[in-house]
Amino acid sequence: MPASLPAGLDLGERRRRRQALSGLVVLAILLVLPLGIGDVYVRNILILTLMYTALSQAWNILGGYCGQISLGHALYFGIGAYVSTLLFTKFGVPPMLGMVAAGFVAALIALVVSWPCFRLSGHYYAIATIVIAEIVYLLFLNWDWVGGALGINVPFRGESWVSFQFRTAKLPYYYAFLGLAAVLWLASYWIENSKWGFYWRAVKDNPIAAQSLGVRLFRSKMVAAAASAFFTGIGGSFYAQFVAYIDPDSMMNAQLSILICLPAVLGGIGTLWGPAVGAAVLIPLTEVTRSYIGGSGSGTDLILYGVLIMAVATLKPEGLTGLFRIDGRIKPAAAPATGPSGSTHAA
Amino acid sequence: MTAETLAQVVVSGLLTGMIYALIAAGLSLIFGLMDVVNFAHGEFLMTAMYATFVLYITLSIDPLFLLPMVAVFLFAIGVVVYRVLIVRALSVKVNSGMVQIFATFGLGIFLRGIAQFVFSPDFKSLRGTMLSDKTVSVLGVFMPLPQLAASLVCVVAFIGLWLLTTKTHFGRALEATREDSEAVALIGVDRHFIFAMGWGIGAATVGVAGVMLSTFYYISPGVGVTFALIAYVVVALGGFGSLPGALVAGLAIGLVEALTTLLIPPSLKQVGVFGLYLLVLFVRPRGLFGNL
Amino acid sequence: MARWGKARAGAVGVVLALAVWFGVVSFGIDGRVAHAAPTEIVIGAVYPLTGPGAQVGLDAKMALETAAEVINGSYDLPVPLGKGGGLPHLGGAKIRLVFADHQSDPQKGRAEAERLITQEKVTALIGSYQSSVAATISQVADRYGVPYIAADNSSPSLNRNGLKWFFRPSAHDEMFTIAMFQFFKDMQGKTGKPVPSVSLVHEDTLFGTDSGNAQHKTADAAGIKVVADVKYRANSPSLTSEVQQLKAADGAVLMPSSYTSDAILLVKTMADLGYKPKAIVAQAAGFQEQAFFDAVGPAAEGIISRGSFSADLAPHRPAIKPVNELFRKKAGKDMNDNTAREFMALLVVGDAIDRAGSADLEKVREALVATDIPGEMTIMPWKRIKFDETGQNLDATPVLLQYVGGGWHTIWPFDLATQPPIWSVGQ
Repeated sequence: MPASLPAGLDLGERRRRRQALSGLVVLAILLVLPLGIGDVYVRNILILTLMYTALSQAWNILGGYCGQISLGHALYFGIGAYVSTLLFTKFGVPPMLGMVAAGFVAALIALVVSWPCFRLSGHYYAIATIVIAEIVYLLFLNWDWVGGALGINVPFRGESWVSFQFRTAKLPYYYAFLGLAAVLWLASYWIENSKWGFYWRAVKDNPIAAQSLGVRLFRSKMVAAAASAFFTGIGGSFYAQFVAYIDPDSMMNAQLSILICLPAVLGGIGTLWGPAVGAAVLIPLTEVTRSYIGGSGSGTDLILYGVLIMAVATLKPEGLTGLFRIDGRIKPAAAPATGPSGSTHAA
Repeated sequence: MTAETLAQVVVSGLLTGMIYALIAAGLSLIFGLMDVVNFAHGEFLMTAMYATFVLYITLSIDPLFLLPMVAVFLFAIGVVVYRVLIVRALSVKVNSGMVQIFATFGLGIFLRGIAQFVFSPDFKSLRGTMLSDKTVSVLGVFMPLPQLAASLVCVVAFIGLWLLTTKTHFGRALEATREDSEAVALIGVDRHFIFAMGWGIGAATVGVAGVMLSTFYYISPGVGVTFALIAYVVVALGGFGSLPGALVAGLAIGLVEALTTLLIPPSLKQVGVFGLYLLVLFVRPRGLFGNL
Repeated sequence: MARWGKARAGAVGVVLALAVWFGVVSFGIDGRVAHAAPTEIVIGAVYPLTGPGAQVGLDAKMALETAAEVINGSYDLPVPLGKGGGLPHLGGAKIRLVFADHQSDPQKGRAEAERLITQEKVTALIGSYQSSVAATISQVADRYGVPYIAADNSSPSLNRNGLKWFFRPSAHDEMFTIAMFQFFKDMQGKTGKPVPSVSLVHEDTLFGTDSGNAQHKTADAAGIKVVADVKYRANSPSLTSEVQQLKAADGAVLMPSSYTSDAILLVKTMADLGYKPKAIVAQAAGFQEQAFFDAVGPAAEGIISRGSFSADLAPHRPAIKPVNELFRKKAGKDMNDNTAREFMALLVVGDAIDRAGSADLEKVREALVATDIPGEMTIMPWKRIKFDETGQNLDATPVLLQYVGGGWHTIWPFDLATQPPIWSVGQ
C-alpha cells in the first residue's frame, strides 16, 4: 500500500483555502485587466495567453494528473475548430451551440484513439499520439469537403454573441477564453481533492499498486482523456471564431501540440497553477520575440527564444511554480524498489 | 503500372529507408538505449550538414573524407549538450521526460536560429563532389550513387554501434547506467561520463548521416524538421533498445512510404507509414524488437 | 519563514515585471493626433523572415527598400514617383517601411498584420509571398479598412472573397496558366506539332492546389490529355516514387508548381532517375530562385517558366536597368520575378496615396480604385495597371521565360521575345 495515501488525504484545509483565495484574486485581476489596456496587440497576446492556459490545463488533466503524456493534442484542438466551423459555414449552426458539439466530437475521438493506445507504455504512447495527430492532419489537408489545403473562411455575417463574431472587438474573445480557463482551473481544483484525482495520482505514481486496490485503471484513464479532449475541442472552436480562417496547418500542426503542453511543463506538470504560470511566461515571450525582433530576418528572435526556453529548463526544471511555492504538489509515493525496471525517474 | 515502375519504386524505397535508418541510428542510441529524449535530433543533422558544407567550401575535400572531422565535431556537440542541458533535465525527480522534451525543444529552436543567423535562410547545396548527381542503372532500375554510398555507410554504422553496445565494456556500462544509475555509482562508474560519451557517440552517428545526406539533399535551417519525425517513428517502430530494430524499421518505413504512393495520392504517403506504425504497435506494443 | 519571504519577493517581482512590460507596450498605443499633412507615410510589409521561405522574405525586404529609396531619393526614374523627393502632393512626405515576420504561418500573419495596423498605424499593407498567409492578412485588412496590396500572391481565390480592400497588380495563377496554354497553341502554330499530353506535379498547400486545379481545367478545355496529376507533400524527404510515376506516365510537357526546396529535390530526382521530359513549363515560385540554379546547375537548362518580369525587356522598359542596378547594390543579385513585383507594389500604393493627397484610408482606397498606370511607366511587361471591381489587375500580361546558358530569356509573347524558344515537343 503506497505510503502516501493516508498522508495525501490530509490535503490541508489551509492549503486548499489559500488556493481558492489566490484563484479568486487572479480572476478579479483578469476580469478588469483588459479594460485598462487599449492596445490591440497587447489584448491579442492576453487572449492567446489565456487560450494556452486553458489548453494547457486541459492537457494537464491527462498528462499532469493522470500521467499520460500526449504529444498530439493539437488533434482535438483542430477537430474542435473544424466541427464548429463546418457546422456554422455549411449548416448555419451558431458557434455557441457548435462548440458544444465540437467538444463532444473531440471527446469521442479521444476515446476511440485512447482505447488501443493506452496499452502502450511511455514513449510508445507519446509517439503514437504524435503519429495519430499527423495522420488526421494529412487527411484533412487532402479532404476537399473540409476545404483541404485551402482552408475554410468564416464569413463575417454581422456581430453577435450567438455567432460569436465581432468585426474588430477583442474583449468578447478575451472573456470567453478567460471563462474557459477559469472553468478548467475549477476542474483542476476539484480534481485535486476528488476521488478521481486520487485514483489518477495512484495510477501515475504506481500503476501496479493502484491496480491492486481495484482501481479501474483503464476506465479512469479514458475519462481523463475524454475530459481533456472535450475542453481542448471547445478551445479550438473559440479560436476558429477568433481568427475567422482555419486550415489544417494552423489548427492541427505538430508545433501546436508542443505549445499546448509546454506551459504545463514550464510551470509545473500536475500542479494547479503550473499551466497558467507557464503560459503567462511562454506566450508573451513567443509573440514579442517574433514581432519585435523577428522583423530583421536574421534569426535573432529564434536564438533568443531558444536560449530562454533552455534557461528555464536548466535553471528551474521542476517548473516555475516552485519559485512561488504557492501550492506544493502532493509528494509522489516514497516508493522503494518499484519493480524490475528499477527506473527512478518517470519518463 | 509496369514491372519497371514497381521495381524502381521498391529499390528507391529501400534506399530511402536506409537513409532513414542511418539518421535514426544515433537517436536509437540516445533515445532508445539511454532513454533520454532529444527533440533537437533533426537540428543535430542540420548542424552536421552545415559543417560539411563549410568544410567542403573552405578545404575542398570531398565530403566522404570529411566524415571523421564532422563526426568528431558532432561528438563534441553531443557531449557539451549533455553536460550543459540534459544533466539538469535528468536531475528532475518526476516528469524528467517532459523536461527533456522542453529543454531539447529550446535547443532545436536555438540551433535553427544560429543557422539562419550565420548562413542566411537560403538553400545551399554541395556541387561537384565525387558522388553528386551521378546515378547508375541496373536492369533499368536507377540507383543514385550518393544514396548507395549512404546505404553502405548505414550498414557500417549499425554494425559499429551494435558491436559497441553489446560487445564492449562501455556498451554494458551504458545499459547498466540506464537501468540503475545509483547502483553503478557504487561500483565506480561515473554515470555522467558514461551518458556524456553515449550522447557524443549518438550525435557523431547523426553527424555521419548529415555528411552523407548533404551529398544529395539541400541544406537549410529547417532541413532537420523534415527528417526528425521519421527518425522518431523509426526508433519506436523498431523498438526501444534494439539497434537492429531501428535498421529493419527504417527499411520498412522507406519501402512502405514508396509503395503507398502507388496506391493513394502521394501527398498522403506518410499516412501509410504512420498506419504501419500503429498497426504494428497494436500487435506488438513494444515495437518490432523492443525489449524495454 | 525565510522561504515565504523569498517566494513572496519572487511573486511580487514577477508581477511587477509584467506590469512594467504591459505598461511599456501599452504606451506604444499611439496617442498621435492626426496632423493636417503628415511628414511621413508608414507602409507595413508582412513577409516570411524566418522559417521556410525566409530567403524570399529577405529579398522582398530589399526590393521594398529599393522602391522606398526611389520614392524618397532623387534618382529621376521613369516610374510613378520616380522623380523622388517623397510624395509631391503631401509636401514631400517620405515613405517609411515597417516589416513583420509571418513565419509562413497564416495565423501569425494575421496577428502581425493586425499589429501593424493598430500599433504602427500603417496606411497600407504589402505582402506576403505565400498565398495561404495572404488569405488571412487580406481578411484582417478588410475588417479594419486598410488596403492590402498582394504583391506576389498568385492564388486565384484571393480576389474572389468579396473583399473591398484587396488589390493585386500582378497576375494570378489562372492567368498564368492560360498564358502557358496559349503558348502551347502558338508553338503548335509555329511548328505544326500540337502538345499531345501534359503531366502535372504540384505541392499540396494553397499555391500548389490552386495551380494544379487551374492547369487541369485549362488542359481539359484545350483538349490536351493530362496523363499524370501528382500532388505531393510539400517539403518531403524524398520524391523518388512521385518522379517515377511521372516518368512512367511520360507526358510530353511537365508542369510543376513547387516552392524552392521541392523544386530542387524534384529536378535532382529526375536526373537521378534518368527522366527528362520534352519540356518543363513551371509555375515560377521555386523555379525562379537563385538557390534553385545553384543547386541543380546544368539540369535547369531549358526550363520554361511563367513570369511577371524579365530583365531582358530593358529595351521596352527604360526603368529596368537603373532599378536593377539599385537593387543589385543592395542585394548582390539581379531582380527576379518576385522582387520586381514587390518593387512595383510599393510604387503602386505610393502613387495612390499621392493622388489621394492624404493618408485618409477611404481616400487612399478610392485612389487605388482609380489607378491607371501605363505599362511603359513600370518595369513589368504589363499593358497597364488598372484594377477591376475585385481588385485584380487584368492587364498584368504574363511572359514566359526560358533558362538558357545561365540566364532567363523572354520567349513569349513573340512580339516581346528576345530569343526563339528551344522547343522539341512533338518532334
